[in-house]
Amino acid sequence: MSSMSRSLPSWWTTDPCESVVIGPRTLPGRVWTASGCFAYGLSGHDIRSEEFDSPYEGIGAVVTKTVTPQSRPGNPMPRLVELTCGAINSIGLENVGFEAFLAEVLPSLEQSQVPTVVSLAASRPEEFGPMTARLQEVAREFKHWHGVELNLSCPNVAEGGHDFGSDPSTVAQCVAAARPNLPDRALLAKLTPNIAKVAPLAAAAAEAGCDAIAAINTVVGLDVDLTTGKPALPRRFGGYSGPGIQPIALAKVDEIVREVGVPVVGIGGIATAEDALKFFALGCVAVQVGTAQMEDPLAAAKVARDLGRSGDH
Amino acid sequence: MGSVVPAPWNLTGTVIGNKAVSSGLLRLDLELPQPVPFAPGQFAMLNLTGSGKLVFRRPLSILATDGPVMSFLYRVVGRGTALMADLANGEALDCLAPLGLPFPEPGPDTPPALLLAGGVGLPPLHAWLVEHGRPGDLACFGGRDGGDVPWSLLPDPWQVSVDHLRDIPDGRQAYHGLVTGLADRVLDDGPRLVLACGPTPLLRAAARLARDQGWPCHVSLEEHMGCGYGVCKGCVVPVLDTVREEGWRNATSCTEGPVFDAAQLDWERFGGAL
Repeated sequence: MSSMSRSLPSWWTTDPCESVVIGPRTLPGRVWTASGCFAYGLSGHDIRSEEFDSPYEGIGAVVTKTVTPQSRPGNPMPRLVELTCGAINSIGLENVGFEAFLAEVLPSLEQSQVPTVVSLAASRPEEFGPMTARLQEVAREFKHWHGVELNLSCPNVAEGGHDFGSDPSTVAQCVAAARPNLPDRALLAKLTPNIAKVAPLAAAAAEAGCDAIAAINTVVGLDVDLTTGKPALPRRFGGYSGPGIQPIALAKVDEIVREVGVPVVGIGGIATAEDALKFFALGCVAVQVGTAQMEDPLAAAKVARDLGRSGDH
Repeated sequence: MGSVVPAPWNLTGTVIGNKAVSSGLLRLDLELPQPVPFAPGQFAMLNLTGSGKLVFRRPLSILATDGPVMSFLYRVVGRGTALMADLANGEALDCLAPLGLPFPEPGPDTPPALLLAGGVGLPPLHAWLVEHGRPGDLACFGGRDGGDVPWSLLPDPWQVSVDHLRDIPDGRQAYHGLVTGLADRVLDDGPRLVLACGPTPLLRAAARLARDQGWPCHVSLEEHMGCGYGVCKGCVVPVLDTVREEGWRNATSCTEGPVFDAAQLDWERFGGAL
């Protein structure tokens, strides 16, 4: 075991690789990879290491890159700016489109036995109805597809992004459209931090029937390229992620846990077991590893391993 | 070229060499826990370890391997490479390699190669010449001036061009002009397989030359990368795709490249028509 696990706090008595119940569904672990940070899993590729048999080892779910009704080419380059404590991205939900995802990607994840949560976005709340109905129709028998995360908070698209997810009644409509179609899958709503109070959004989502809140998505940010004197990204703003947003994420998570009481899956600057423990300490039922997964394909596997108590004598 | 690319290894290596090979280029030798084979054109994602870890790894083309030692060539262009230049022997570096698709291997019917390398674009073509070079290949390297050229890595048959004709060592020669100018002498000698790696203007010039001659051409792009293993979609380049209504799509350069058939790139969307 790593030195990290030996220093686990005494209050932490959970095995992160034991199952966790989210709504009607039992997922195989509490450390997940965040949407947009691990594509659709490795899609047939693999990563070899001396420490792990597979990058999926110990992972409770891969939350897929967000899928939209139609394929999207994404935003123009450059799409990433690295900063000292994180990165600003403006990918723009590049994805293969919903039908191609159903035909090619999801069956391959199922075949590879990768625990999967499908991230969906749309430009109108009612679109989540037919999308989830179709998902359930196609993947009803899939054992490793565990749920849906509604991305109500991407800052990098013109419509259907975080503005759309800033209104409690719209959030409720999105959840309500999806809920009846997912009787045996976990339904999560991923909320924006780019709002003064997130609790009303979480409350609206919970009342409309979602099983857990995923928080947070990226924080709207901007960087300036000093050689040109212009914003570094073509769309000016992007989504800031990485270690720098962790305190913001913890504050939003705490607000949701205390004011709404709905289960929360914590996201925001988690790269190590210590980072994850802060979210668990606030009451999160699971966590997602995001930007760190881009740096290290084994980041989530390492967090899960280092949170484990086995061998911790 | 084999269609199956072996999965990359995620390892931590030890720096055993990190020094200048010219006024602007440094060679990094990294001893890994085990040998990691690669194909010319593939790259590694490198990062400092511990508290010095950068948010993203840095992509560097692989120059060579010798047992467990993997070597790279780089230029200090930003914070990451500046920190890398400060690494002393014995320090650790995380390494995810090999990544990406390599340059094509020559077959029995492949015409002689014309290699066009600029600056830090040397490693993949240097490796290609070592691995696949045949008599008749023409290998050309372009540098800023004689001091910028890593002469020790460029024995015969490498030809050298420089933007500024100065600091040329005794016994060596350099052509004053663009690296593509070195190719002029073989234009009438029959077809060539053009392989290019370097700054985008060089790649464009190589692609234009190949298009005008009707020669095959593969270029290795130096896009900024986030993850290097296909998940972040931060390094896309437009490629032609006749299956799609739009006629093009974004390709992920770290996994679908960094080497692309120049005829497949949508140059018009990639900085302007050739």
